[in-house]
Amino acid sequence: MIELKQIEKNYRRGAEEVHALRGVDLSIAAGELLAITGPSGAGKTTLLHILGCLDQPSKGEVLFDGVKASSLAENKLVKLRREKIGFVFQQFYLIPRLSVFDNIALPLLFSKKSADRNKILELAALVGLEHRLDHSPAQLSGGEMQRTAIARGLVNGPEILLADEPTGNLDTENSEKIYKILRSLSENGLTTVMITHNPELAARAERAIQIRDGLIHS
Amino acid sequence: MSGFLNLSWQNLLRHRTRSILTMLGMAASVGVLFSVLSFNQGFNQGLETELERTGLHFMIVPSGCAHEVASLVLHGAVIPKFLDTKVMQHVRSTSGISLATPILVAQLPDPQRGKIDLIYGVDMAALSAIKPGWQIDGKTPTQENEVLLGYEVAQHEKLQPGDTLRTTEDGRTLIVGGIVNLTGSQDDAFVYLPIETAQALLDHPSAATAIGVKVDDPSKMVEIIESLSAAVPGIQIVTMGEVMNSISNLAASAKALSLSIVLIAILISAVGVMNSILMAVFERTQEIGMMRAVGASRFDIFRIILEETTIIALVGGLIGIFLSVLGSRLIETFVRSVVPYVPSGELISFDPKIAAGSVLFIFIIGIAAGVYPAWKAAKINPIEAIKG
Repeated sequence: MIELKQIEKNYRRGAEEVHALRGVDLSIAAGELLAITGPSGAGKTTLLHILGCLDQPSKGEVLFDGVKASSLAENKLVKLRREKIGFVFQQFYLIPRLSVFDNIALPLLFSKKSADRNKILELAALVGLEHRLDHSPAQLSGGEMQRTAIARGLVNGPEILLADEPTGNLDTENSEKIYKILRSLSENGLTTVMITHNPELAARAERAIQIRDGLIHS
Repeated sequence: MSGFLNLSWQNLLRHRTRSILTMLGMAASVGVLFSVLSFNQGFNQGLETELERTGLHFMIVPSGCAHEVASLVLHGAVIPKFLDTKVMQHVRSTSGISLATPILVAQLPDPQRGKIDLIYGVDMAALSAIKPGWQIDGKTPTQENEVLLGYEVAQHEKLQPGDTLRTTEDGRTLIVGGIVNLTGSQDDAFVYLPIETAQALLDHPSAATAIGVKVDDPSKMVEIIESLSAAVPGIQIVTMGEVMNSISNLAASAKALSLSIVLIAILISAVGVMNSILMAVFERTQEIGMMRAVGASRFDIFRIILEETTIIALVGGLIGIFLSVLGSRLIETFVRSVVPYVPSGELISFDPKIAAGSVLFIFIIGIAAGVYPAWKAAKINPIEAIKG
């Protein structure tokens, strides 16, 4: 489904030239649950951003369903992200004044689709938040906030869900709930890529890769 | 409310105090803009109405400054010159004139009261033609020792019809025949009396400060003026249109100054809006990064931020207009107390065109103020934003 060929990513941090990725090759099959581990600064998040077409590689090719995403124009990339990619972040990034319902529906605003109440209810039920739809983020626990963010990542019906340390801010019980949701999504055919520092969760994924110094060490 | 508008509105509500204060800044500017524009329009209309009310087509005065004539026509300024008595004879013998009435305006000291009365001598029979809008308590003087008091004079001296105003040096007792109801103009400050009495008190028999003239056919006014000017030397003829221009010219610089101040205030408010929204953008950098990641285009982000500034400008503008209409009486009272000449009648009223124009103007200013923060927000790199 996604294929990375000899991906390099370099950028400047002040006077320093950073080589975040140094020739990464990676294939992710449809429906796969992939865990990415590695120390801080190894290039995990950079890799996830390139997979999610948020960032472009300095060298190499990104093929998304056979389409060369690394050479697409900005507007095409926006469309690709809207239609095919879901994102989940460690910090949740929910909009404080919007209800759980509206937070889940937010991406629909950008894809110019109306919020289908039944679809939102279905997603909320999938993440166990059907009774919290009218609540504001401030009224939710950390686990509930992350589950809202997962539902938001799914609302446009993506082909792949990219989660950047989704359990990084959660306790063991909530981490387990989030993992089970991701696992279930993957079992239902959604390609899922998860960055994690938790070796136990990584070990339970279908496949786990480790990144060190900008290179994959499987 | 559409999704984008709702999102912008909710964003503003996150920092309620900041948003309200920014809106109030806009409200103050728009309120002043609306008041100044309404006042300027009310001034011109009031001036026109006041001149129409004189019922005269032109005034004949001794040669001099046109501004003095304007003052005389509008609020009875004291001109230290008198028309020659022959002028009146010439005017009356000119064909096409339906009314020619001499007016004598002067200051008359009263040593007993230690005050100076502003007297306005006029042919009482012509008074209703010169001041058709007046309402009088009591009666228009018919006797030579009867006077008509302006509202403020009557209030200040605590006089009623039938009371005595004063006894003059030549032994006349001036009795109050009637009191003019409040006009809100300088007419309220005069003592009106038969012109013959005024001439006798000033010891200038047959003298007049001006002659008010009404013609039979206004289309022949130019010919009549030319004929009079050629026949009588040492006079100046000023039409009501010229008086209007003269006053308008005097007021124009004040209007321009006040509008300039308002525009500067609006500019300061717009910078305040820009600053406030820019702060909000910087505070929400990560959130904007998230929105870009979940599918928002640069234009979507630009739109959200621009709508926030537009909401502030529009809501602030509407509040400003509402408050200025509510406070128009206060503003008008203040203006009347500091501006030397203000026409009578309501000066600040709700004119939908001015209100709509002010709101449209502030809408444009709002958009202009929002462009830079919106552009900054749209330029945010989602990767750097999410990394924090």
